[in-house]
Amino acid sequence: MSGLRGTRVLVTGATGFIGGRLVERLVREEGASVRALVRNFTNAPRIARFGIEMMPGDLLSAGVLDRAAEGCDVVFHCAYGAQGTDAERRVVNVQGTERVLAAALARHCRRVVHVSTMSVYGDPAQGDVDETAPRRYTGSAYGDSKIDAENAALGYCDKGLSVAVVQPTIVYGPWALTWTIKPLQQLQTGRVILVNDGDGTCNPVYIDDVVSAMLAAAQSPAAHKQAFLVSGDRPITWREFFEHYQRMLSASATVAMTADEARAHFAASQPGGFVSESLRVLKREVRKREALVREHLSPTGAGRLALGVAEQLTLLPRAGSPPPAVDAVPIHPLPPSKVPMFAAKARFRADKAARLLGWRPAFDLDRGMAMTEEWARWARAI
Amino acid sequence: MQKLKCAVIGGGAVAERVHLPALARCAGIEAALIVDKSAGRARQIAAQFGVPRAATDYRDAIGAVDAAIIGLPHQLHASVAVDLLKAGIPVLVEKPMALSPGECDAMIDASAASGAVLTVGLLRRCSPSLQWVKRALDAGLLGTLSSFDLSEGAVYRWPVASPSMFRREGGGVLADAGSHVLDLVLWWFGDYRSFSYRDDAQGGVEADCLLDLEMADGVIGRVELSRTRDLRNSCVITGERGTIAVGTKTDSVVTVTWTDGTSLGGRGVVGDRPSPTNLVDLFEPQLRQFVNAIKFGDAPVVSGAEARRSVELLAACYRTRRLWIHPWDAGASAGASETDTLVEAVR
Repeated sequence: MSGLRGTRVLVTGATGFIGGRLVERLVREEGASVRALVRNFTNAPRIARFGIEMMPGDLLSAGVLDRAAEGCDVVFHCAYGAQGTDAERRVVNVQGTERVLAAALARHCRRVVHVSTMSVYGDPAQGDVDETAPRRYTGSAYGDSKIDAENAALGYCDKGLSVAVVQPTIVYGPWALTWTIKPLQQLQTGRVILVNDGDGTCNPVYIDDVVSAMLAAAQSPAAHKQAFLVSGDRPITWREFFEHYQRMLSASATVAMTADEARAHFAASQPGGFVSESLRVLKREVRKREALVREHLSPTGAGRLALGVAEQLTLLPRAGSPPPAVDAVPIHPLPPSKVPMFAAKARFRADKAARLLGWRPAFDLDRGMAMTEEWARWARAI
Repeated sequence: MQKLKCAVIGGGAVAERVHLPALARCAGIEAALIVDKSAGRARQIAAQFGVPRAATDYRDAIGAVDAAIIGLPHQLHASVAVDLLKAGIPVLVEKPMALSPGECDAMIDASAASGAVLTVGLLRRCSPSLQWVKRALDAGLLGTLSSFDLSEGAVYRWPVASPSMFRREGGGVLADAGSHVLDLVLWWFGDYRSFSYRDDAQGGVEADCLLDLEMADGVIGRVELSRTRDLRNSCVITGERGTIAVGTKTDSVVTVTWTDGTSLGGRGVVGDRPSPTNLVDLFEPQLRQFVNAIKFGDAPVVSGAEARRSVELLAACYRTRRLWIHPWDAGASAGASETDTLVEAVR
C-alpha cells in the first residue's frame, strides 16, 4: 500500500498502544509524513525514534487541534480517556472526539479514521454480531461514551466530513497492556480466574491486523460513513487465549470458577470488607492453633470434613503442603464488571471489512502469539 | 569562608531535582542565578529554591558568579561551556560533556587557557559500590577478566515538558543514560579496541540500543540500554576466579561469586557516610569536589579529558550505527528476509 506516501497525517493517541504501532507503520511502510499530538512527552520515547513532528497538546486544549489538523489529509483518532474519573474520561471520549472532528472539518481533511471498540455493541455483546447490530448502552462509562463518540463521528459525515470507524475486538500483541502485558504479569504473580472454566468466547485480533484495517479505512472510498468490526481469523475460548500465555511461561496458573464464585471471590478479597476481614481474623486465629485444631478434629468423620472445609477456605494449609504455598499463589480478584465479558459467547464478524476494504487478518492466533512471545522475551515480560 | 556564587544554567527537571537540592546541601557554594530560556520558568524555579536572580541569557552569569552548573539539552553544552570557561567561570557540565570529541577539545582548551575548572556530571563515579568494583578490578580480584554484560533500562519516567528532549541532534538513550554507562565501562575496563553498535532510531532518537565491545586487553562486553523496557540494571563481570554482579544505578549491593559457587555480597562503604540512595546523594560529593577544585586546586572527580573518552565512543557509535529492528517491527507482510533488507538499506 503506498496511497499515503508523502501524505501528511495527524495521529492522536500516538504514544499509546495502537497509535504507537500505527506511527511505526505509517513511517516505515507507508512513507507518510506524521504529526503526532502528544499530551505527555514522558510517554514519547517509542514514537520519538522517528523523524515525525510531535506537537504538544491534548484533545481539550483550546486551539491545539485546529493547528494540529492544519495541512493534514488524514486524521487517525486513537486517543481516548484512559485516566481520571468516569466523568473525566467521558469528556475526553465524547467532547474530545467532537473537537477532533470539528478541526478536521474546518481544515478540510479528506478522511478521519475514528478508533472505536466492540464494546459499543454491549458490555458484553451476545450472539453473532456484525455492524448492523444495535449499539447498546449498558451503563459502562467506557462503552457508553464510545457509542456517543462513534455517533458524533459518523454524524459529521452529514456536515461534509468523511469518517470511517474501526471497532477492534480483543487486541493483543507487542506493547498491548490490557491483553498481553497484564495477563502475563498476572500469570506470573498469581492465578488467573477462568470464568466457567474459560468457556466464554474470546475474539482476539493481533495489533498489526488492526493497524492494517485502519490504513485501509483511511484510503478506501468505500469506507466513507462506515463502521468496521476488526477481529482475528476465528473466535476462540478464553481458555485457549490464556493457554497461549501459559505456554510462553511454561506455567499453569489459571483457576476455574463459575461466574458466581468469581464474584464471591472478589467480594471476599476486598480489604476492609466484612467477609474478607472475618476470614483474615479467623485464619490468623486458626493457624495459631493449627496443631491443636488438627489433633482435635482428625479423629472423627465430621471433624475431618471440617478440616477439609477449613483447607478449602485457606484457613489452614492443605495437609502435607508447606504453609506458604497457599498464600504464595494468590488468585487475582476479577472485578464483577468484567465477569460477564468472560462468560459471554459473542462472536464478532469482520466480513464487512473484508468485503469493502479488502482487509483480512494476516495473523492467525498461532502466528500472532508467536510474534507476541518473541517480543515478550525481548521486553523481559516473560 | 565566603560561599561561591553559582549560576544554574537550564531550569529543567535536572536542575529542579538534582542541581538545586544539592546546592542547598553544600556549605561552600550557593545558587545565585537561574537561567532558563523561559522567563516564567526561570522565575518560578528561582522562587521555589529562594535563588535571588533569574535570567533568560546565560551570558548574564559572566561577571556575576564564581561558578556555573550547566544542565541544558546535550547539543548546547559545548557552546555555552566554552563561552563561560573563556570568561574564567569554572563549569560543571552535565553528561554528556558534548556530542563530539571536537566539542570536548574546544571545552578543554578553553578551560586550559583561562585556568577555569572544567568537570563533568558523571556522578556514578561517586557511588561507593561502583568505586568498590573499580578497586576490585584494579587489584585483580577476579584474576584475568574475560567478559562483562551490562543491561540497563527502565520505562521512561523522566518528566519532560516538551519535545526538546527528543531532538535528533541531542541523541537518544545512548547519549542520555548511556553517557553514564560508557563512562563506567571505560573507567572500569580501560580503552576499547573495536565495537559494533545497533539502535532503533529511524530519523529520530533511539529508545533501545545494543553495543558489543572488545576492550584493548581482550575483554569482551555487551551493553544493552532501553527507554522502553525494565531491564535488570546491573553489570555482571566475569573473570577467571568468578564474577562480580553490581547494580549500575546510584548504589547497590555488590555480589562476588567464586567459580566454586560460594559468594559474598555487601555494599561498598565510604567512611561514615550513609549509602547514597538518590541522584542528589551522588551529585553532592561531586559538587563538593568541584568547590574544592575551584578553591584549593584539587582534581575534580571527572576532568574534561577523562569525560572526553566516553564522548569519543558515543560519537563513534552514532557514526557507525546500524538499525536494530525486530521481527515484530517488520509489519504484517514482511518476513525475515525483508527485515534483513531493511537493515542493509539503513547501513
